[in-house]
Amino acid sequence: MRSAPWRQYFTLVVEALPSARGLLPLVALLGVWQLLQTGPSPYFPPPSDWWDGLMLLAKSGRLYPALSATTITLLLGLAVAVLIGTGMGLFIGVFPRLSRAFGPLLEFLRAVPPPAVVPVAILFMGYDERMKLTVVVLAAIWPILLNTSSAAERVHPLLLDVARSFRLSAFDRMRLIILPSVVPAILLGIRVALPVAIVVTLLVEMLTSIEGIGALMIGAQRNFQSSQVYGLLVLIGLFGLLLNNVFAVFEAILLRRWPPKTQSQNF
Amino acid sequence: MDRDRFIAGINWPGTAVLVFVGLAWEAAVRTGLLEYEYLPAPSTIALGFGELASQGILAPDIAHTLISVAIAWAVAIVLGISLGFLLGLSPVARRYSLASIEILRPMPGVAFAPVGLLLFGFSLKTEMVVTILPVLWPVLVNTIGGVTGVHQRLYDVGRTFRLGRRDTILRIILPAAMPPIIVGARISLGLALVLAVVAEMVGNPEGLGYAIVREQQALRPDLMFAYIVTVGVIGIVLNAGMLALAKASFPSARQLRGG
Repeated sequence: MRSAPWRQYFTLVVEALPSARGLLPLVALLGVWQLLQTGPSPYFPPPSDWWDGLMLLAKSGRLYPALSATTITLLLGLAVAVLIGTGMGLFIGVFPRLSRAFGPLLEFLRAVPPPAVVPVAILFMGYDERMKLTVVVLAAIWPILLNTSSAAERVHPLLLDVARSFRLSAFDRMRLIILPSVVPAILLGIRVALPVAIVVTLLVEMLTSIEGIGALMIGAQRNFQSSQVYGLLVLIGLFGLLLNNVFAVFEAILLRRWPPKTQSQNF
Repeated sequence: MDRDRFIAGINWPGTAVLVFVGLAWEAAVRTGLLEYEYLPAPSTIALGFGELASQGILAPDIAHTLISVAIAWAVAIVLGISLGFLLGLSPVARRYSLASIEILRPMPGVAFAPVGLLLFGFSLKTEMVVTILPVLWPVLVNTIGGVTGVHQRLYDVGRTFRLGRRDTILRIILPAAMPPIIVGARISLGLALVLAVVAEMVGNPEGLGYAIVREQQALRPDLMFAYIVTVGVIGIVLNAGMLALAKASFPSARQLRGG
């Protein structure tokens, strides 16, 4: 029984969503907040004010450029990190000697918390878009690189024997055997990298006031525009939620043709 | 015997690459091959360490960051495990809160910094506002997963021994759910360090995170790199400590490895 592909995607999306009843605590919290807080407040403005704060930002024409600047940096940075990380990961993973030799160096570089790279980038590259992008790439690249290389190392020996039996060239072996078997690992790497990339993007914007949601938020805080701060907080939350879910759907669609995971997921 | 195995276990090519990269960096800076105004040679960074240590400012910075990490981690573990057990054991509680958790979970911690600053100004409280929530999720989610994932047969064992509710939780569910909980605790510890550094950069001018920004603004790249290396080493030590702890308490659990 085969239904139209869009229906399959739709079911995938619906199945991935948790029950709507689960929203109750969040809705209750916001409701109580709204009821307890009647007037504007410098610390806990009622949720209805948050929307006004956001609208004010939108009307002044600062919200959309900031939102698009953050989105572009994030997506572009992730794309570059995927390209470089996958390429290097495959190269390192295919040669066991190479992976052994570079292992400790890569582990150390990964152990440095990504935010620590931000001041280095500021010092070397100054306050500009190029620096922001570099920081995002540097933060996102490690999970992708290390996942790819360890998956490339562990390609099933039987599959490599297949390549030998068919006398595949090195290029075809990479294209037909190794690349398909590391795709799930690459996607897992991106899923780990995504939240880190969001945090680092916002951090750079907060530290340097380069255009973006982070800069907008810290600006609102400095001007004591509390309703704007909370409004932007909700906006960022929705932004992160959207990116995560879009990626989860993308991953599910892409992995339909791969054998199911043998290891059960944690949750 | 043990010593031989230890020596054989050392990754010589890996060590060689590390040493080579360090030497090449030193040589490139000394010969002027790499001419960046702000790129210090490794030896200069080492001297920076000496300077920081002799001035006695390195230890307080490390202590502040470690204390923040410890507070956030402890809160995350206590809250995460107790809430996780509640949600794991009660399908009703789960049904009425899971979606809220899924919505809050992707919230980037750094976004709470302006809220913390609004409420508490530059302070340790702001640092906690940034750190605690993101650090809570891995423990909470893994605890729920561990509790709901306990095999039905283990419950049967409990019933066979006529264990009460309390004993079932303490002697059946807790040990069975421990491996994923420890994995969650380990992820949380790493996150706590990252977020403490973030919070110190924007929300609380103390500790290693602030020190990195301070030395960047003071145009002292040697000291800045010394602090970054310190943070990296702390990350490695914390992670290794958690791994050793996990291995010691659950020698057979395979899912504790890697990461």
